[in-house]
Amino acid sequence: MLGRALLVLGLWAVFGLAAGGQGAAAPGRIVSLDLCTDQVLVDLVPRARIAAVTHLAADPAVSAIPDKARGLAITHGLAEDVLRYDPDLVLAGPFGVSATVDLLKRLGRNVVVVPLANDLAGVRASVRLIASAVGAEAEGEAMILEFDRRMARLPAPSTPAPGAVIYQIGGSISGPGSLADAALAAAGLRNLGLDYRLTRAGQVPLESLIARPPDLLVLSSGADEYRTIVADNLRHPALRRLREQVASLEVPWRHWLCGTPHLADAIEWLAQARVRLGAPAR
Amino acid sequence: MMPPAGQRDARGLRLLGLVAGAAAAAFLLSLATGPAGFGLRLPGDAGRLIFQEIRLPRAVLGALVGGSLGLAGAALQGYLRNPLAEPSLVGVSGGAALGAVLAIHLGLTSLFALALPAGGLIGGAVAVLAVLALAGARGGPVTLILAGLAVSSFAAALIALALNLSQNPFAAVEMVYWMMGSLADRSLTQVRLAAPLMLLGIALLLTVGRALDALTLGEDAARSLGIDLDRTRLAVVAGTALCVGAATAVTGIIGFVGLIVPHVLRPLARNRPGLLLPASLFGGAVMLLVADVALRLLQPWVELRIGVLTALIGAPFFVWLVLRTRSELAP
Repeated sequence: MLGRALLVLGLWAVFGLAAGGQGAAAPGRIVSLDLCTDQVLVDLVPRARIAAVTHLAADPAVSAIPDKARGLAITHGLAEDVLRYDPDLVLAGPFGVSATVDLLKRLGRNVVVVPLANDLAGVRASVRLIASAVGAEAEGEAMILEFDRRMARLPAPSTPAPGAVIYQIGGSISGPGSLADAALAAAGLRNLGLDYRLTRAGQVPLESLIARPPDLLVLSSGADEYRTIVADNLRHPALRRLREQVASLEVPWRHWLCGTPHLADAIEWLAQARVRLGAPAR
Repeated sequence: MMPPAGQRDARGLRLLGLVAGAAAAAFLLSLATGPAGFGLRLPGDAGRLIFQEIRLPRAVLGALVGGSLGLAGAALQGYLRNPLAEPSLVGVSGGAALGAVLAIHLGLTSLFALALPAGGLIGGAVAVLAVLALAGARGGPVTLILAGLAVSSFAAALIALALNLSQNPFAAVEMVYWMMGSLADRSLTQVRLAAPLMLLGIALLLTVGRALDALTLGEDAARSLGIDLDRTRLAVVAGTALCVGAATAVTGIIGFVGLIVPHVLRPLARNRPGLLLPASLFGGAVMLLVADVALRLLQPWVELRIGVLTALIGAPFFVWLVLRTRSELAP
């Protein structure tokens, strides 16, 4: 039994190596295992070269490019499922698929693991990494140039920077070191998240938020896109009343869940909201 | 020798007055506790908002849910004449949580809000009927626990399945919510949805006191005293499903309240189910409100779920009950 399994693995390895050795031409059967690599990939290369992406790529709640991704084949990220597409390049993110990645590497597949982008430099780095892996360096540099151009056109920051809180499903907030925190900073806002008395799970009790409202309350939409009782905090009447009193902005997740150049949308909206605040009260 | 009836009633009234007073005090304590500061008067508009929209619903839910669970536990123990009967242990809470999860994930709650407690109610009723059918109304403590284990494990598996099928990115968080319960950031919306059904269930369960008193003498004796056992059974099943179903639909599963409270109060209630029922109603409210206050005081240091806290107290108590039951059953 075990012997047969090893034989099958061995055969895969041989075929895998053979497939990988077909010359240095740009990969043409690319599989992406991560929502964030999905989005950069779809923006970078023609559809014909994409073998499969995750099911999330076409989900408008979390993907910035749902229309462009619709109709692409979908992988669920298991090694066997990935091998079905006989990929010559596999793009993976840092989460959840390390066993799959190890197995695919052992089978001789060309796997590129793209680290999580936690800031704007990370966005550029992951675009560069993916662009060079797929052989689209020029397109990648153009994408980064456009991103930097949009960043340079942002309204000038004001001092002191107004304080903002990103309040999410379940009352969790985005703290320092997160991509959302970097987006706030780029937009000229100060992340007040840690000024609150947080629970150990990194959540703000609604009561604390109301006791010390921020200058700008930032919400990710999604309370009603997913049917979950965990989103009840976003439907709370007290939050509705708070939003009548302080400025608030909804930045849908799809724009800042991943460190892709689409993050520029979120940053521009945040910066415009900051300008609308005028001079901060404190 | 039983004391004369008049003296018994006076004692019973004193006990009820005591637990009701404790419940009122716990309610005020809950209203006064929160991260924005201690006190029944908080400054400004924000203070009023916090008080009316956040603390009030939390305290009301704590009292009603705790009371419902305590009362349902006392009613189940009295009706089944089984010291281990408790809504979460016999699977009623699990069934109710499953009903509520289905109501949410099938989109019924967005069609009509009452679908949430209704789902809990139906799930709870199905579970209690399944357990009664499995264990039999006269099954021993062990049979009942086994039947409850089967029903609650199955309910938990189906909840996990429903959450996974919904492709919900919050599936894991939501699973924790349902399994361990929460009173955090609940609103008057949930109070309005669940309170009427819980009150109806409480009223229904309080009517079976006399029947449970008679049942302590055995079924034949109860029947000869003019007790309609079918009606009693219906009232216990419907009342438990209403109480536990509506409570679980808005707070998730909170275990052991219905086990601890009746056991602590039983000696004080002189083993009279008719007195134990209202006493457990107030006692359950005290326990859940105090646990919820403790939770908020501990919060800067430890993040605890209310169901975790009640289980931390309840599970050792359950073990002790099992040991005692075992020595009673031993030849």
